[in-house]
Amino acid sequence: MSKRKQSIKSKTQTARRDPIPWKYCFLTLVCGLMLVVGFFFAARSHFSSIDFGIKNSRLRKQIEELEADKRRLILSKEIALSPAEIKKAAKRIGLTEMTASNIEVYRPPVKEKSKTEKLIVEKPKLEFLEKSAPAKKEEKKPEVKIEKKLPETKEKSEKIKVQIARK
Amino acid sequence: MKRAKKITKQKNPAQTAFTRFMLVVAFFILWIGAIGVRLVHLQVNQSEWLRERAQDQRRDELKSRMLRGTIYDRSERALAMSVKVKSLYADPREIEDVEATAQDVAAALKIKPDQIAKDLREGKETNKRFVWLAQKLDEDAAHQLNKELETYDLKKFDTPKYKGLHWREEQKRSYPYKNLAAQIVGFSNADDIGQAGIEQSQEEILRGNVVKKWQDRDRLGRVYEEQEATREPPKDVVLTISHSIQYKVEQALEKGARASSAKSGMAIVLDPRNGEILAMANYPSFDPNRYTEFPTENYQNRAIQAIYSPGSVFKLITYGAALDSNLITADGMIDCSRGFIEVAGHRFNDPHATKTMSYVEAMAVSSNVAAIKTGMSLGKENFYLYAQKFGFGQPTGIELPAEARGLFRSPETWNGDSLASMSIGYEVGVTAMQMVSAYAAIANGGVRVKPHIIKEIRHSGGKPAFVSELTGTPIVSQDAARGLRKMLREVVVKGTAKRAQLNGYTSAGKTGTAWKYNAKLKRVDAGKFVSSFIGMAPAENPAVVILVVMDEPQGGARDGGQVSAPVFREIAEGILPEMNVVPDANYVQEDLTAQTIPSEIEEVVLPETENVNGIDAPKNESKKNVGKTAVSSSVKETKRIEIETKPEPKKESKSPNADKKLSKPAALNTDAKNKSSTERVKKKT
Repeated sequence: MSKRKQSIKSKTQTARRDPIPWKYCFLTLVCGLMLVVGFFFAARSHFSSIDFGIKNSRLRKQIEELEADKRRLILSKEIALSPAEIKKAAKRIGLTEMTASNIEVYRPPVKEKSKTEKLIVEKPKLEFLEKSAPAKKEEKKPEVKIEKKLPETKEKSEKIKVQIARK
Repeated sequence: MKRAKKITKQKNPAQTAFTRFMLVVAFFILWIGAIGVRLVHLQVNQSEWLRERAQDQRRDELKSRMLRGTIYDRSERALAMSVKVKSLYADPREIEDVEATAQDVAAALKIKPDQIAKDLREGKETNKRFVWLAQKLDEDAAHQLNKELETYDLKKFDTPKYKGLHWREEQKRSYPYKNLAAQIVGFSNADDIGQAGIEQSQEEILRGNVVKKWQDRDRLGRVYEEQEATREPPKDVVLTISHSIQYKVEQALEKGARASSAKSGMAIVLDPRNGEILAMANYPSFDPNRYTEFPTENYQNRAIQAIYSPGSVFKLITYGAALDSNLITADGMIDCSRGFIEVAGHRFNDPHATKTMSYVEAMAVSSNVAAIKTGMSLGKENFYLYAQKFGFGQPTGIELPAEARGLFRSPETWNGDSLASMSIGYEVGVTAMQMVSAYAAIANGGVRVKPHIIKEIRHSGGKPAFVSELTGTPIVSQDAARGLRKMLREVVVKGTAKRAQLNGYTSAGKTGTAWKYNAKLKRVDAGKFVSSFIGMAPAENPAVVILVVMDEPQGGARDGGQVSAPVFREIAEGILPEMNVVPDANYVQEDLTAQTIPSEIEEVVLPETENVNGIDAPKNESKKNVGKTAVSSSVKETKRIEIETKPEPKKESKSPNADKKLSKPAALNTDAKNKSSTERVKKKT
């Protein structure tokens, strides 16, 4: 009897000492917390993966666009470098095609210079002589006359070229 | 008892807590269990339906074709390439307000709204699902248009504003060099299927596969996941042609064709050592970017598809066979003193052959009698065998579509005078490619290398998938080839091709002028010729073989030596320095007039085939149609048309129409005059 009383006493004493089941509360809290944290991390990783996916697709799209741009630029470069376009551009800046008429003849220094010049502009000189002043005066300053006439020949050749181009 | 009751009451808090905890756990288990059951139910019974619904909501399936492979020239310049473009289309069934949509789209496209509204209305009435609004817009234009049509409220940020408008990604084939090598490169149609040239022959290699792409989008329309089916990308094709050489050849050909008012022209530049085609030009040409604007005749690559009678250029085969068979030597003599030869009742006249001369001289003046005698000495079988060895009557195997095999009958079907006619280049139909290939064999020491135009086929990453290999076939001995080159050299130095002499380089070649057959007249037309020149330079160790053929040159000049040889000269002088060929001569060409060049006399043999003499490609190459030489006297008259060799005046265009027709020749003549005067100045100085 005394033993039984004692055991009842001790149990009532412990019950009194721990009226709230902290142990279970704590366990529940931990579990709940773990669940929340788990959800949180899962949600976070889910949204970050979506975010990465979005960024990834944007970058892919950017790469595609850049590659398409690159191809377009290559195409533009090829168009610009095509012989026909180079020819057009050369004409635009005043360059003419290499023909016999526009090859400059080599002029040896000093003495022979005047001879070659005479030979080069033989025709214009004659025309000039026909039109203008006495022969004696011209003979004194042949170089000046040649220089004046040179542009005419250029103009003529340019006219011919324009005519050819038009045709 | 009361005390015992108290004790049990005192036990309760722990038990209660435990019970409550267990209840919570049980609740959770039940909840999770219920969810599990529901999940199992959804997964097992409704999975398909749900998956489809979910995918419809978030997933887009896109189909796009990979960009077509690029065609490069030998220096890696893109001759044909594809770029991405966008096209706008409408699904009229989805459009609610047709008028407003048409107004806005038209404003963005800067066109009248009436047509769009009409199309959309019609589409809606007829329940159409597809109406084009704007096709193949480049990226900038598409972006601009999208900007004008887009709205920020829209879920999918890259779709147009109005419901029912959609973008479709497409590709556009571009040819940046326009007319350059148009017949070689060819073109592809609106469906990106090759229609001509390399585009057609290499369709399987160049065509890109259709690739599927799946995009998962969030509620804002942003793509967060992409999946793409992997397919092998198309390959690129690298050609042997050089864009700069091609350009020079095309320019020279056009200039020459315009100068001679030729109906058409063709030129081929071939490296005899490896069979690589450096240029292949046709006149008139077309722009593959706008191919619909040009006549379809211009699409034809005449260099491989058109058959013509070669005339005197074919004498090379006659002499080559004889030299290789040791029947003649280049310096050996032949009696041509009668000035004509009669074979099977057919008289072949030859005013140049009035004496005994060497074979070299005979070739230089293009003697028909000498060639016929040589051919007759060979015999039918031998001649046929050598012609086959040179590649006549069969396609060369070049990687271009629709190559003609030419017309070369077997000896059983020959007439009495066929061998004589064939010895001087009649009763045979050849393509320009066959001719240039035969000459290349002589330039290459008697070894014929298969001509090819594809240098390499490679993967998009640059790794080669196919590299062309050289295949050489010996045709004639090296001595025979050397002898032939000597003969050809003489043609340029003293014979009919003086205008093919080059500044700085030696050259060799042969002229050919053949009359064309007129189907309406049913006999050869004395006013229509095919004038050709095939040459090589430098003469001793040729780096290039160049063929120039002019179809129906008009005006004063008609001979191959007058019409085609100057084109050869311009081409050779332009490309040899570019190819780093060391000059082997210092010769400066003098002014040549018609009198200084012996004109070619051709004995015309009437072929009964409509197109044997014509440059147009034959419609039927069957043996039945192959030319026969008629025996009746009435036909004989028409068969032999002897052209008088009148000394031509210095000014080549004396015909009344010449000045009107030839706009360029005037310019060319002035250039020639200027050049000669400057050269004279050079010499004097």
